[in-house]
Amino acid sequence: MADLVTTIKQTLKDVEFVLGWVRDPATGVAAPARFYSEEEAEAAIFDSTCVHNLSVHLPRLKDRRVGIVAKGCDARSVVELVIELEAERENLKVIGVGCGAILDVKRIWRRSGFGAEIDDTGDSLRIAGEQVARDDFLSRKCSGCLDADPDIYDVFVGDAPGGDTAGAIAPGGEDPHPLREMFDALSPAERRDFWREQFSRCIRCYACRDVCPMCFCRDICIMQTQVPHWAGGEVNAKESEMIQLIRVNHLAGRCTGCGECERACPVGIPLMLLLDEQNSAIEAMFSYRAGDSLTARPPMQTFSIEQDLWGDGE
Amino acid sequence: MKFISSEKIPALLEQFSRKARVWAPLRPEDSADTLLFMPWAPAATLDLKRFTTISPKKLVLPESEALFSFSYSMGEDGERVEIGDAPAADEPGEGATLLFGARACDARSLTVLDALFGLEPGEAYNDPQYKARRARLTVVTLACTTCDAACFCSSWAEGTASTEGSDLILYPVEGGYLARGITGKGEDLLELDIWEESEQPLPELAVTDKVPIGNLDAKLLEIFSDMDFWERATDRCISCGYCTYTCPTCYCFNIFDEMRGQRDGERCRSWDACTFYLYTLETSGHNPRPGIAHRYRNRIGHKFSYYPRNQGKTLCTGCGRCIRGCPVGLDIRDVLRGAGER
Repeated sequence: MADLVTTIKQTLKDVEFVLGWVRDPATGVAAPARFYSEEEAEAAIFDSTCVHNLSVHLPRLKDRRVGIVAKGCDARSVVELVIELEAERENLKVIGVGCGAILDVKRIWRRSGFGAEIDDTGDSLRIAGEQVARDDFLSRKCSGCLDADPDIYDVFVGDAPGGDTAGAIAPGGEDPHPLREMFDALSPAERRDFWREQFSRCIRCYACRDVCPMCFCRDICIMQTQVPHWAGGEVNAKESEMIQLIRVNHLAGRCTGCGECERACPVGIPLMLLLDEQNSAIEAMFSYRAGDSLTARPPMQTFSIEQDLWGDGE
Repeated sequence: MKFISSEKIPALLEQFSRKARVWAPLRPEDSADTLLFMPWAPAATLDLKRFTTISPKKLVLPESEALFSFSYSMGEDGERVEIGDAPAADEPGEGATLLFGARACDARSLTVLDALFGLEPGEAYNDPQYKARRARLTVVTLACTTCDAACFCSSWAEGTASTEGSDLILYPVEGGYLARGITGKGEDLLELDIWEESEQPLPELAVTDKVPIGNLDAKLLEIFSDMDFWERATDRCISCGYCTYTCPTCYCFNIFDEMRGQRDGERCRSWDACTFYLYTLETSGHNPRPGIAHRYRNRIGHKFSYYPRNQGKTLCTGCGRCIRGCPVGLDIRDVLRGAGER
């Protein structure tokens, strides 16, 4: 990955540090890192285990000049953060990388044991030496990927944008959640029971919130503050369900579908079932997909008194 | 030695469940990738191969609980406050509980918590809720003949062979498990007529990664103000509560009032995490641990320096849960090794 290393080194002339990935020696997969020097940049990698959406760090770095290595989906979050003034475009150097889909490392390891060797360098995927079908172990978000190449970048690494790095991906936004079919067949009462069951496992660790690039209130989140006391402090299905619904609603028209919240959840709550549903509704109602364009206005952040909200001409 | 075949494990759990509420590593419905300690029922999907994502500490320290109830009223001599007992549903006396399939690190974590919560009455931190739950708990441990890349319990002398906190230990062998009683409670379980006899020898146990923790307690005090180290060591941290909430020994809690209407309420406690900004935010608006690095430094210092100095035990048993699930791949061992070399 000399190209990436060289690019990071060049970018470092202009920024304080670059957010990227290194290979974790204990597990052999990618781990997020910051590169402050050319020497450190030598360790930079990009491969199919670079699942993390590094833009989550940007709101905390708003006033600093930093670089960030971004996949297509990560760049959508960068766009949304810039629109919402949580990142300064001029302070950012985006190093776009062409992505050929990301593996679901968590699922691989839950199947084969944490740290099981993942070899995705050849024609096929090998897990602990055993050859498996690569498509079976891709991150779910990748199967409906619309943006294998980032929309915004200052430098691009890898094949030219639109090149064949995206060849492994079936684009088009048809991205059924594994539980979607089951869920859609449920009655409203059954859906309530389904979510009660799911949220009964929640321990309120807030990993879903803190790993979300768009949940940038995180330190003073109303789910945790005593004043205002909008959410009770008890840990039970009712509170957790309400907390998550508040979170999901606050992401209306802002969620880019990166899937980090569902990935981070220690108890396997299928949060993207909720967010997919809402994202589809936002797209249907407002023709808006978060992260598409730097010049677009998120539908929940515009209001016009002339707007015909109910479509009745009044 | 007593032996039970793998096929008879559900029958064993059924027998246990007649006398106690049984918690075991189960897969929740609709989430095949997740493994959690949950209340066992005959239809449950048991998994004794993998590690659970969350520790069993909630059996002694639940995610949240009411400590007592209160009620305001207006009497002839002004406002009165009446204090009531903990609501029945939250009373510690839920009856006997049996934890099945804990690992040596999980069982040992209970004794680490006992060092603080189990003090004799009259000592500083007498916690009746914790003690009642602890006394009612029986721990059936599953010995580890294999481990994964996150395990590091062998950093402590006994490692996977530790019997601390276990009442009974099951050792995986050909076709089933050998059973060894550690305490009277454990020996009692061996009285059941479901056990067979076996001549099989005890299996060889796994040896995990080892982190040098010997002189960390002094070292961590020495590098307390070395913010360059802490900033770099934690620069990928996102300050969530994954590590602390899945940890078997992180015990920090918050205390708050939940009102039920205008006059009645409960004083509750729930898990809290030193990684959260609000954890140390003071009423004045000042936060002594404003940055992620300050907060993670506290987590490490508490586990490997302050707690050992105060309670005589490291507040970590090397279970590796924080490593396996960290959303950003932060490995506590890297921080500990880095600190040791500083």
